[in-house]
Amino acid sequence: MRGIRKAYPGVVAVNGVDLDLYPGEIHALVGENGAGKSTLSNIAFGEVKADAGTVKASGSVGLVHQHFELVGRLRVWQNIVLGREPRKGLRIDEAAARKMVTDLAAKNGLEIDPDAFVEDLPIGVQQRVELLRELEREPTVLLLDEPTAALAPAEIDAFFATITALAKRGTAIMIVTHKLQEVIAYSHKISVMRHGELVAKLDTYSTSVDDIARAMVGGELPPVAEREPTTLAPCLTIDDVTAGTGGSRADGVTLEVQSGEIVGIAGVEGNGQTALADAIAKMIDYEGVIGLDSKPAIVPQDRHREALVMTWSIVDNAVLGRQHDPGIQKGLLLDGARARRDAEAIKERFDVRAANLDVAVKTLSGGNQQKIVVGRALIDDPKFVLAYNPTRGIDVGAAALVQSRLMQARNAGAAILLISFELDEILTLADRILVMYRGKVVGNFSRAQVDRAAIGRLMAGSAA
Amino acid sequence: MKPALRILSGPAGTLLLVVVMMSVVMIVAGSTPWAGFGALFGGALGGPHELAETLAQTTALLFPALGICLAFRAGLFNIGAEGQLLLGGLAAGALGANFTGPGWLAVPMILAAGIVGGGLWGALAGWMKSRFNANEIISTLMLNYVAISIANYLVAGPLKSPLATGAETAPLPASSWLPTLIPDTRLTIALLIAVGIAALLQFVFARTVFGYELRALGEAPEAARRNHVDINRLTWMAMGLSGAIAGLGGAAIVAGELHRFNTQLSPGYGFTAIAVALVGDLHPLWICLAAFGFGILEAGGLAMQASAGVPKDAIHLIEGIIILVLAAKRFVSTRVEVPAV
Repeated sequence: MRGIRKAYPGVVAVNGVDLDLYPGEIHALVGENGAGKSTLSNIAFGEVKADAGTVKASGSVGLVHQHFELVGRLRVWQNIVLGREPRKGLRIDEAAARKMVTDLAAKNGLEIDPDAFVEDLPIGVQQRVELLRELEREPTVLLLDEPTAALAPAEIDAFFATITALAKRGTAIMIVTHKLQEVIAYSHKISVMRHGELVAKLDTYSTSVDDIARAMVGGELPPVAEREPTTLAPCLTIDDVTAGTGGSRADGVTLEVQSGEIVGIAGVEGNGQTALADAIAKMIDYEGVIGLDSKPAIVPQDRHREALVMTWSIVDNAVLGRQHDPGIQKGLLLDGARARRDAEAIKERFDVRAANLDVAVKTLSGGNQQKIVVGRALIDDPKFVLAYNPTRGIDVGAAALVQSRLMQARNAGAAILLISFELDEILTLADRILVMYRGKVVGNFSRAQVDRAAIGRLMAGSAA
Repeated sequence: MKPALRILSGPAGTLLLVVVMMSVVMIVAGSTPWAGFGALFGGALGGPHELAETLAQTTALLFPALGICLAFRAGLFNIGAEGQLLLGGLAAGALGANFTGPGWLAVPMILAAGIVGGGLWGALAGWMKSRFNANEIISTLMLNYVAISIANYLVAGPLKSPLATGAETAPLPASSWLPTLIPDTRLTIALLIAVGIAALLQFVFARTVFGYELRALGEAPEAARRNHVDINRLTWMAMGLSGAIAGLGGAAIVAGELHRFNTQLSPGYGFTAIAVALVGDLHPLWICLAAFGFGILEAGGLAMQASAGVPKDAIHLIEGIIILVLAAKRFVSTRVEVPAV
């Protein structure tokens, strides 16, 4: 790739990037959200047309998307041959297709049941299907967009074993990711993007996570606020709560969160965390007891859909969920001046970067949107906070700020239940760590006796 | 989008398109745009009586359009304004014909009956949605036919005036007629009531908790649900109020010009009002202007047919085209180009 440039209205997404991928090499492309990684990989794949520059490849290019593009109600083999079905007259030659898939899987050392329905498979296996579908075209270059975002630690290891073997057989591989530990562990070369430009090219053997992070943010990382001693007092009790349906339900969960502590729930996506969070938020019916004597402050997992009205201003969003609170509702009226004051306070405390308080939140970056969501949740000094992936998909600077504010709320005596798919985030923040697997709490660690490997095993479903 | 395109995609573009289309229709009909528009505007605005007729049409469209606006802002596609208007009129006519209280109370009671009649009909659809998750587009559309059947039955049977030959209620006494703004015209103080409601709606949207929650529900239902908005309650309330405003419009026609109820009350105001609400971009004050524009078309159409030989049906053709253009625009504008970074 030479001199790649791509501009969207109001933003230059990629600006004059040169990048070379070689057969046998795993190349990591890292950068904050909005740095231009996705645009660059879409250009390499040919999905997006660059304004300037050239892309040359010695063969075909395959792309595995972050969000799988599979048909859940079709079988594995049907998904893999989709669009290239071997035919027998007007019908699909099922035997040939199934053999094609089994051969392909065997050749790449990927174990798979060709007759399973994709929607029944765990995420890690679904990804294998997606990968096999791309490998069927025998690409010389394979692009992987955040391939491990939804995988358990054990699945991640297996995934990289496959990728490494693939590279050894001569495929050029580029991984777009923000997980720097994996970059260090598995890549050969690293390219760092910032504001659309390639700011560093590193060799993995001679660099470190800190070096990469500094290159990504263009300076030192902001530290997370200190953990201070607190007095614990009971706040939230969850006793034998069962909620939700199917594989992603919460199944007899019992836990307690005290004022002045952060309890982290580690687990791979889809193991009942959402059902538990929705039960606490009283969004779904549940069995069991949830004891909480105050209105929970909630940072939901999907800020676009669940937390913000994207077309509204910061002012209007600042009081969403609080519109009936005394001091905001005045008789029939909504106190607009109060909303503006609160918006100003959130902007101040959380360093929200916006031209003014009246811009629609959809025009802000994900990090700034999330600062508004967390800022709103914490503005009234809540006794209990439920934070679900509070830093997912936002840049490192914003993430550090959000984590600091959560820690400060804890220090000031809030009880915080933190559900996160990022184990690092939980290890950074939590005083106690619970592990959820298939709807049940399968592990309980205090901060002092935390064992990363044991947590990883529990997340994947094996006994610690 | 290029600046020129951006301007064309706004109200100015819609207006320009309407003018061009109408010109084409006029030429096809053997007239010229000059003669056609001349006749149209002359017939709509040429004198006090013409203006009164235009404003009467404006009023009739404005009530249901404001009702529709309220429901649409909550994300509820109330297609049933026609039925709500009809039942509002029916309730007003039934009460007005039988009212025996003091004279000064007659008009307020008749208008209140319209509010209740339309409001209950709207709230019924809202309740069906919140209770059974019935799609309100289907239910309100279907309830239109139920409303017409109910009205037909009642005015042909229990409520039929013994003196009337056709199917209609007994006439209202003159003491319960709405005062006219210009004597010997159909223009009554209902226009002022409608504009007052527009202003009130604007205030409700901008300043009240109810309006805030209504907008949240319309813009982001899941965010609303998760942020202490009682969606079920809001749904039937929004539909009820939407129907109430349309029903008030029906009562205004009964008390203002027919002075009795019959099922020819509305030539489809409740449907045309959907276009009015959309042309007005769901903002109450813009909707007032849009209703005036449609009033000009409706009132001037007849004059255009008489003196320029352009059939009045051309007006309905244009109205249909406006709805299509707006629907297309809504479809296109949801596909915004977002940088994939």
